[in-house]
Amino acid sequence: MTTRTPAVREGAAVPLLAAEQLTVRRAHDGATVLPAVDLEIGDGQVLAVTGTSGAGKTTLLRALLDVLPDGLHRPAGTVRWRGAPVPAGRPARRWRRARCGWLGQDPAADLNPLWRVDRLIGEGFTGDTGARAQRVEALMQQLDLPPVLASRRAGEISGGQAQRVALARSLCADPELLVLDEPTSALDRATADLVAEAVRSRRGVPGRCVVLVTHDTRLAAELADRTLVLAVGPRRSTDAEAAPGPQLPAAPAREPCTATAVRLRSSVPPATSAVPATPAKGPPAPTEAPAPPPTAAAPTTEGASRTVAPAPSPAPVLSTRGLILLTPDGTPLLDAGDLDLPAGGWLAVTGPSGTGKTTLLHALAGRRPPAGGELLLHGHPLPRGTRSRDRRMLRAVQLAGQDTVTELNPAHTAGRSVARPLKVFHGMTGAPGRHRARELLEAVGLSTELSHRRPTELSGGQRRRVVLARALAAGPDVLLLDEPTAGLDPVSARLVLDLLDRLRRSGPAILTVTHDPGTAARADQVLHLTGRRLTPRPPTTPDLSPEQRTEPSGVRQHHG
Amino acid sequence: MTLRAAGRALRPAGRAVALAVAVTAVVFTATELLPGDAEELRTTGRASQEEAAAERDRLGLDRPAAARYLDWLYGLARGDLGHSLAGGRPVAALFAERLPATTALVAVALAGTVLLTAAALAVTYLRGGRGGSAATGLAAVPQPVHAAVLGAVLAGLLGWLPPVSLLPSGGSPLSDPRLLVLPALTLALPSAAFATVLLRGALGDVLRRPHVADARLRGLPAPLVLHRHVLPFLYAPALQVTALLTGGLVAGTALAETLFGYPGTGQLLVSAVALRDVPVIQAAALLPAVVLLLGMLLADLAARRTTATGPARHPGPALPDAPRGGGR
Amino acid sequence: MSRSVAFLSLSAARARRTAPVAAAVVLLVCVPLGRYAAPHPPERTVAAPWTPPGGRHPLGTDVLGRDVLSRVLAGGTQLLTLSLLAAAVAVVCGTALGLAAGWSGGRVARGVRALGDLLLAVPALVLALVLATALPGATAVVVAAVLAGAPLTARVVGTQCAYLRDSGHVHAAVERGESTPAVLVHEVLPNLRRLVAADAGLRLVTALQIAAALAVLGLGPQPPEPDWALMLSENLPGAALNPWALLAPAVPLAGCAWAFAATAGTVAHTPREAV
Repeated sequence: MTTRTPAVREGAAVPLLAAEQLTVRRAHDGATVLPAVDLEIGDGQVLAVTGTSGAGKTTLLRALLDVLPDGLHRPAGTVRWRGAPVPAGRPARRWRRARCGWLGQDPAADLNPLWRVDRLIGEGFTGDTGARAQRVEALMQQLDLPPVLASRRAGEISGGQAQRVALARSLCADPELLVLDEPTSALDRATADLVAEAVRSRRGVPGRCVVLVTHDTRLAAELADRTLVLAVGPRRSTDAEAAPGPQLPAAPAREPCTATAVRLRSSVPPATSAVPATPAKGPPAPTEAPAPPPTAAAPTTEGASRTVAPAPSPAPVLSTRGLILLTPDGTPLLDAGDLDLPAGGWLAVTGPSGTGKTTLLHALAGRRPPAGGELLLHGHPLPRGTRSRDRRMLRAVQLAGQDTVTELNPAHTAGRSVARPLKVFHGMTGAPGRHRARELLEAVGLSTELSHRRPTELSGGQRRRVVLARALAAGPDVLLLDEPTAGLDPVSARLVLDLLDRLRRSGPAILTVTHDPGTAARADQVLHLTGRRLTPRPPTTPDLSPEQRTEPSGVRQHHG
Repeated sequence: MTLRAAGRALRPAGRAVALAVAVTAVVFTATELLPGDAEELRTTGRASQEEAAAERDRLGLDRPAAARYLDWLYGLARGDLGHSLAGGRPVAALFAERLPATTALVAVALAGTVLLTAAALAVTYLRGGRGGSAATGLAAVPQPVHAAVLGAVLAGLLGWLPPVSLLPSGGSPLSDPRLLVLPALTLALPSAAFATVLLRGALGDVLRRPHVADARLRGLPAPLVLHRHVLPFLYAPALQVTALLTGGLVAGTALAETLFGYPGTGQLLVSAVALRDVPVIQAAALLPAVVLLLGMLLADLAARRTTATGPARHPGPALPDAPRGGGR
Repeated sequence: MSRSVAFLSLSAARARRTAPVAAAVVLLVCVPLGRYAAPHPPERTVAAPWTPPGGRHPLGTDVLGRDVLSRVLAGGTQLLTLSLLAAAVAVVCGTALGLAAGWSGGRVARGVRALGDLLLAVPALVLALVLATALPGATAVVVAAVLAGAPLTARVVGTQCAYLRDSGHVHAAVERGESTPAVLVHEVLPNLRRLVAADAGLRLVTALQIAAALAVLGLGPQPPEPDWALMLSENLPGAALNPWALLAPAVPLAGCAWAFAATAGTVAHTPREAV
């Protein structure tokens, strides 16, 4: 490594860039977004600013450069360049233009798509045309950009090339201050190395300095002379001490805590300072702890007309034979898929996204008929399209889709959404229908007053339950669920899964498609959809509840 | 390359021609098939039955509508617009007489529209793409109200202008430019408001593009940001809006010219409607539609040269750290 | 503290939203009653033509020496009624077309779009003038407003309907075996309310503009009739003598147009839960 910080200090040189008591507040309510921060960067130094997301790293950078977004302002603090204050407004703008190079988080998006690459790179260069052309050419060569790119527009080059063009642009005028905002997070490996190399090459060069914002503590340790750690919370560690790399908090140990902090913050949006500074070592991720409360008294709310007895019978409720699925444009997704869903059973279909899990559900529900193969309901053929199924078949197969926002009619209250199938399938209208709808909502764990709310007034988990209640209102024999825990936080997800566990004991067999191992773990049987085939897989997680383990004997018969 | 380029250019042209033909059908249907015919008016009801029949025969009103439509279309293609029922003069000659006045009026109004719109958008730009509900309201106000308020203020309260723009017979509209002011402003105000409403959205979209924020961040002064990184994205929508507005302005001359007594084709249309002079109405109704279609075609072709649609990148998280301000 | 500030800004925003709606309602209620508040019979000559405001005539007199205030009070009903009727027909036709296009997709949608392109190539004013050749003024206004407005309504409704057609609750209804009309009534139309309401405001503005233009050009109500638009053309030559005869009818006419347009804007942008 090069010169240590004290050496610079002892020279009593004026720092190149200094900020005192830099504070940022939100304009409309005066909330403090960034409490007072001091920083100093000496000649030839690299300052890294790190901290968890939401700690205000980018805000600090923007306050420093006087480019805060609308709604934020800098009520206090001064920025000094070579000892002279840089007032906000026009002086700051001129200073940025003359002294600063900037590389943002998504540098490729920051390029004007109409401009040619050579013009983009040279925009900030102040010399004459010839010198600029030379400089641009040299930079392109240095950053491994082929010369033919020079005449292309930014919209016509690849993402990686665009990133390098952006880097070339920030270096073109050889700025005295280079500012990098999370430069490596969106970059490919090679470009990230080029960025690191550019920072390294400026280290120790007189009259040059770098501010590097990153959450990558290793990168900060490797490149920076000093590190400023910003922390979320009321007691910010405005740790502007000279803290050379090795003294940083050990990165691996902090990793889980950081993740928790992020999660907490996103669920409590407005008040930054309300979040505890260092979250206690929380419990392990809730998704990994299924353990359904076995004491939960399963409320048996029987539909008005149930055709299947709760006891599992050997005959499958729903089967497919030789099912062929295609995408809308004709690409095959599944060749000859066989599956059997026993009464009271729970079958999960897993697989990477895009393999046709949802298409499978839509084919079973008749929404998008399969390209070939046979569907059987209680051993009898089930027509492929919705229009050719009779009311009994329609009632027997109910699909609850993945997107809870579009799955419910925004104009109808939860109660009305649930009451509609009661009317259509069971002729229940008026007071009995409303009463039954409320019962169903209670059965899925929604209190009565929620039945008067519209979807926009419900949380994601609540909407998911309403969708379930609506499907249950039909009194189905098979419940098809598309990613039943998508978009739910771990706690809501577990509650929904527990609910499903209870429900299937009293009625419909369940078929879920999911990529969530926690959901798949609840099923009796898991099929994996990959490479256009449905292949069996044993339940992934060993710790199933005893009741669940007793049953899989009769389930493994799907080879047919 | 040339073949494909020609194909690309011909496609919108073919579309415009098809639309133009369809528009002639609409105009013909509206004027010919609806009850009431010009013959009644021409003979002012005084003619005997035989005379009326002879007149109908002479005008060919007894032939099937489809045949008459094709005749008319064939005439249009040759530049023959028929003869006025009211005076017997060729419609083309009537138009040739009045077109210069209308052209001058539309040109002045268009220039005014462009200036006013540019000013309004400049204000919007300086305010960061916000505001401008005044334009929405102004665009909704009926054109006669614009005419009346302008007349009341400029000619009445201030007394700067004559309230009517009667040209001396045979005089050029340019001989007394003051006569152009009221009708041109009447046309320009609402169309500028409309253009502002349409382009404000486009401007807002451009200002939200990340490269604009980036240019500001790099310290470029506002005029340079505007010139280099904002305006080039507005040329295509601006051209389209201009084409749309030019058609609207030509249509609007009917009102402005009649109200202020300005002798142009718009006034000709209105007086022909009062006289049920069908050939004149047909020609006068086609004029704005043709101007509009032609303008849209030109804008379409020009836009192909100025827009480069790169790969649609996601807008990018500009500020994941900073909480969004409430002002929006 | 932040909470109270947020509350204040919320209520200010709400006031901004409700003002145009309130203005529109007040206008629609008061204009028909204005006739009974007129101090003079609106069709009687009471003074010299274009007398400036003063004395018994707070807004002066018009081209024939009739009281301007009385004529303004009496003059809006027909215009507004006609515009409302025309807008209603346009919205109904456009919604029906849009539903057909959005629900069926494919060829129907392309046909509706082509029809829209065609009708939008002819400016509304010209369409109204051509129609006025053969039809009475009021009918021409309605037909022109429908021909000029319905394609636009059909376009926005069609887009939204096509979107809803593919959303889960509509699929769920279809998979319940509900008939197409039932799905449209229960699942689609309730979610188009706001869109159609906002669009109706814009159609009303268009209809008002067409009605005013035809009246000004002498193709609407005939001279002795008090009518805001007709008053504008009657009194323009006297702008230098009594400008108030022009401004007085211009203000309520502009007010109506503004209120309808602004109502449409607020309805379109009001957050969902407010309804």
